[in-house]
Amino acid sequence: MSATTVSAKEGHKPPHQLLSKEDCLEIFKQLFLARYFDVRLIKEKKRGRLKGTLYSSHNQEAVIVGSLYGLESTDWISPIHRDMPGFFLKDAKFRWRDENRIGMSIKEVCSQVWGRSDSPGRARDNWSHIGRRSANIIHSTSMLAGTIPVAAGVAYADRMKGGNAVVVTYNGEGSTAQGVFHEAINYAAVHKLPVVTIIENNQWAYGTPTHLEYSLEDFARRADGYGIPGLVADGQDVFDVYDKVMEAVSFSRAGNGPSIVECKTFRAYGHGDHDDDRAAKYRPTQGVEEGRKRDPIAICRAKLLDWGYLSKEEAGLYMAEGKGSAQTTNEDFPPEVVEYLNEGIEFALASPVPPAEEGGKWVFKEIS
Amino acid sequence: MSATVTPDTAKATKKNFLNALKEALTEEMERNPMMIIQGEDVGLLGGAFGVTEGLQEQFGTHRVVDMPISEAAIIGSAVGMALNGMTVVCEMQFIDFISCGFDQIVNNMATYHYRTAGEVNMPIVVRGPAGGYSGGALYHSQMNEAWFANSPGLQIVCPSTPSDAKGLLKAAIRSGNPTIFYEVKNLYRDSKIAEDLPEGDYLVPLGKAAIRRPGKDLTYVTYGQNVYHCLQAAETLAGQGIEAEVIDLRTLVPLDEATILESIKRTNRLVVVNEAPMTCGFAGEVVARMSDLAFEYLDAPPVRVTRLDTPVPWVEPLERYVLPSVDDIVNAGLRVAKF
Ligand SMILES: Cc1ncc(C[n+]2csc(CCOP(=O)(O)OP(=O)(O)O)c2C)c(N)n1
Ligand SMILES: [Mg+2]
Repeated sequence: MSATTVSAKEGHKPPHQLLSKEDCLEIFKQLFLARYFDVRLIKEKKRGRLKGTLYSSHNQEAVIVGSLYGLESTDWISPIHRDMPGFFLKDAKFRWRDENRIGMSIKEVCSQVWGRSDSPGRARDNWSHIGRRSANIIHSTSMLAGTIPVAAGVAYADRMKGGNAVVVTYNGEGSTAQGVFHEAINYAAVHKLPVVTIIENNQWAYGTPTHLEYSLEDFARRADGYGIPGLVADGQDVFDVYDKVMEAVSFSRAGNGPSIVECKTFRAYGHGDHDDDRAAKYRPTQGVEEGRKRDPIAICRAKLLDWGYLSKEEAGLYMAEGKGSAQTTNEDFPPEVVEYLNEGIEFALASPVPPAEEGGKWVFKEIS
Repeated sequence: MSATVTPDTAKATKKNFLNALKEALTEEMERNPMMIIQGEDVGLLGGAFGVTEGLQEQFGTHRVVDMPISEAAIIGSAVGMALNGMTVVCEMQFIDFISCGFDQIVNNMATYHYRTAGEVNMPIVVRGPAGGYSGGALYHSQMNEAWFANSPGLQIVCPSTPSDAKGLLKAAIRSGNPTIFYEVKNLYRDSKIAEDLPEGDYLVPLGKAAIRRPGKDLTYVTYGQNVYHCLQAAETLAGQGIEAEVIDLRTLVPLDEATILESIKRTNRLVVVNEAPMTCGFAGEVVARMSDLAFEYLDAPPVRVTRLDTPVPWVEPLERYVLPSVDDIVNAGLRVAKF
């Protein structure tokens, strides 16, 4: 099968056209939720209430929201450092607070960020290296691309159990240079495992631009080398991401094997918040301004207005786009978004730091 | 191996650990046009911690090379360059990521000289920020020197002072042997240890330990940031009338057995401290060798102070719980002193 045929089927309606108005408005709100998580954590750091590094997903929210929205509850994901909102947006559609959903709650995620005992890993590893098996979220290590073979194994096991899950992995474009990226996708292709590898191409890997990372126009071409479909999405357009990921997911769910979806986006700030100042030096200002112009919230807003899902008046509310965290206030976000995060943070602050002795626990399963 | 050049303190200026490394790299790059530096973000960015800042401007993009995120390619290509006459310094963004280039190190680089009956040298230094006590969690805290000490053919270096960082890095680059070079990231910008760097072509010989504090009652053997913990412990013990000697190994492979042995002959007691886990860690190797070489001089069983056999957890109380503390080191000192 050639790389791009999946999305080029004759007379095939793009999946997002089947979404209801309510779905589209929920997607819009989830973009705010992802953005607010990012700006709020930066503010918490500036206030001195929080330590650690935030690898901002500001301007990349459409990739996270759009790719998660169409998944089944039972699907698995493996978000990494750039995808913090993905942890609490899995299976969150219309039920952010539902304790029975298969995903992590904002309380768990905030507990993790604040290093508290109510994080599923009891704060043993930092920020983005979380997960919870019962939430169908794979725990990453720092080693880039290292979750793809794990995702393939999860998919294999699901098939052994007679399941129908798809496993979606997230990776920066820089991490595609790792040997394990190739090894894992090749394996998944041979065994036709339902693994969708999302490449969040934000044009930079820390201080290294794409032309020094790989020599390709589109990662779809790399998919050709594995004999699997490769799709390219406009990573700023949440509905295009939704469409391409849904194509890939349906393909996998039908038993056809893995695929690669490249989402073209742009890293708006430093690699991590520690790098904001240096990034201003190594990245040409013009390119950065250009890259920030296509804000995913603005693009979604324009579409909803165009489709008549937002009135002119409604579309004028909550202008979070085009601003850095310092310029953003709570009034730029729907109150329920702010409220949701407040709940998470309050919960985390009340959660105890794990006792020191836990450092020595759980090296092995205890044998009684 | 060149001998230590006496520091010319009159001409020197205070430098931190990071500047010392940069100075070593700059001087060696100037000296050897066939030397390059490669790694992730070493050029345009100047390294995650800034060790190579300014070097790409000075030496060009073909000599300070921004690599794709592939430790296997960074190290494996260095093997090819060395095979074809070059000298290469490879930066690991954190030494923890060296695991992704493991095969190229232990099977290719480490064995090249051996399997070619000495035809081929591997002037390669793989260097990077290392160590815990930094809130870095499991994958930004490691001291994984034991993996490589168990792979014959690799020199292992871990300096604790700026001047050693400079002199040992230069010596490692020129040694012609592949070297894994551990830089304690906590020390990079520590102004308390900034010092006057000797000017001129300053080399510190590999395989030579340094006595950081003389003492007659027991010997602490250590390296890296634990040197400072041992010095603190020695200070505490001195308050109780116990004089501990502190030996900074500086180089693990080759190991300076003579300096440790001579010390034990005087103190008759040994405590070895490292921040890596205990089982099959380097402290165990020192204890084993001294149990053999110094058995007749030892008045107490040698003791190891190490991390628990766990990964390094993230949050501070847990991290501190698993890593050796000054108190642990003091207690071990008391234990051997009072045996
Ligand atoms: C194997 C490995 N090598 C190096 C690193 C250090 N590192 C962390 S993030 C990063 C850049 C990642 O770039 P990319 O994959 O494009 O993701 P982005 O951060 O841009 O989202 C690097 C080099 C790492 N985590 N793992
Ligand atoms: Mg990137």
